[in-house]
Amino acid sequence: MSGMKPTNRKAELLLDAAEAGHVPEVVAMESVAGCATTFDPGWEVDPFGGVASLCQPMEADLYGCSDPCWWPAQVPDTMNTYPDWDAGKPSAQGDWRELGSVFPKK
Amino acid sequence: MLRIAHPRSVLVGLALATVALLSAACALGAAPKRDFIITAAKPDRLFVIDAAARTIKSEFKIPEANGFLGAIVPSPDGRIAYILVNKMESISGIDLDSGKEVFRANLSSPGERVKCLFAFDVTPDGKELIVYEVPVRLGLSEYQVEDTRFAVFNTRAGVDAKPLRQFAAPRRVHTLLSRKDGKSFFAIGFDLYEFDRATGKQLNQKGIRNWDYANHATPDLLAFWPVSEPTGVFATPIYSSVPAPSGSGDPVPKTALMTLDLTSGDLQYHDFEDTSALIFSAVLSPAKTEAFGVYSQLSRIDTRTNTLARRVELDHTYYAVLVSTDGKEVFAAGAMCDVTFFDSTTLEKKGNVKLTGCTDQAITSPRVIRR
Repeated sequence: MSGMKPTNRKAELLLDAAEAGHVPEVVAMESVAGCATTFDPGWEVDPFGGVASLCQPMEADLYGCSDPCWWPAQVPDTMNTYPDWDAGKPSAQGDWRELGSVFPKK
Repeated sequence: MLRIAHPRSVLVGLALATVALLSAACALGAAPKRDFIITAAKPDRLFVIDAAARTIKSEFKIPEANGFLGAIVPSPDGRIAYILVNKMESISGIDLDSGKEVFRANLSSPGERVKCLFAFDVTPDGKELIVYEVPVRLGLSEYQVEDTRFAVFNTRAGVDAKPLRQFAAPRRVHTLLSRKDGKSFFAIGFDLYEFDRATGKQLNQKGIRNWDYANHATPDLLAFWPVSEPTGVFATPIYSSVPAPSGSGDPVPKTALMTLDLTSGDLQYHDFEDTSALIFSAVLSPAKTEAFGVYSQLSRIDTRTNTLARRVELDHTYYAVLVSTDGKEVFAAGAMCDVTFFDSTTLEKKGNVKLTGCTDQAITSPRVIRR
């Protein structure tokens, strides 16, 4: 943990738990497929530092990311939080104009 | 009839007997077997595609798919397709002749939300479905993460299936594959685990993230496509790096092919290139001498020399790749709304089938059945 710096309150709690020796009590919410457990860069930059190896076109990857909650900061998560975001829009390529932005509910 | 020694009568008799035999054979479904591709597309469609004819043979509606279509697992006899639907909370079994839903397991229950993150498989005898479950208890003011588990269902339990038994599972499992003898199953997560099918006892653990591959960094793996046909060997790309040959400077990224033999349990990794393109999924040729990988390019890998043999650009990204049972063609599918057919040697495009309505396959895992 010494090489990692918390960037939000939940991460600070994890760090506190580690220092207090309670790390085994902290468990990941989902598997590697689930919300925000992937650390890969995505949508902005590919593994080579460019954009040519992102999915082509981007619509090919849109529901592949929303369905498994892959990059929920960039693509709405239809697995849990916004289940109806793509309802009635079964083709990302054909329906992209109808896909709206989402905002956290207060 | 053969007692009449007239040659012409004998020929007529033999011809009639042959016709009768062929009719009987056809009636029993013994016509020459063909490859069919099973895939799914939003919001709730299941397709059966005749690979040789390049046509959609059947299209079915999956009840209460809820706009989500995940991994597809065909029954060993190719008559039922089990598919993950309903935001990863249900598995639906669709009869591929009638289109009827003949099996359904809704994993969640009041107060407990259960997701299956892609990982489930049918046993080789077709009798049981083994499902990896990620449960969360939904309280009024908090969510309580529960332990992950395997649940085993009777495939004949109908449309309100409940687990026959459950046992503890490691976290972070994303692929589940039955061993061919049916006695155990493999779970792929941070490592490869093997469990006894009857008791749930862990039998084995081999390194994936904790692999023993000399000089290689911790690997990264994305394996959501549980395809092992036609060889009975699961194959997937796996990414790592080795130190720069000069001893200083950036590490060299490497792409390896990981294979898991579902008969012997043998797990292997072999680098085949300095990473120069992404590959999402891979499949072994029937002779196991080649593998094919897909993403925005289609790659052919020589598994005898562990080298990249050929790579062609595709007109869009595909997530999934399959190979025909005779090894002559490669099928690219998933992501968007089509299945494209390639010559397995030249990787030249030979045909394309667009799904009805051109809706997205997204992360479903297309499969090949032979019937």
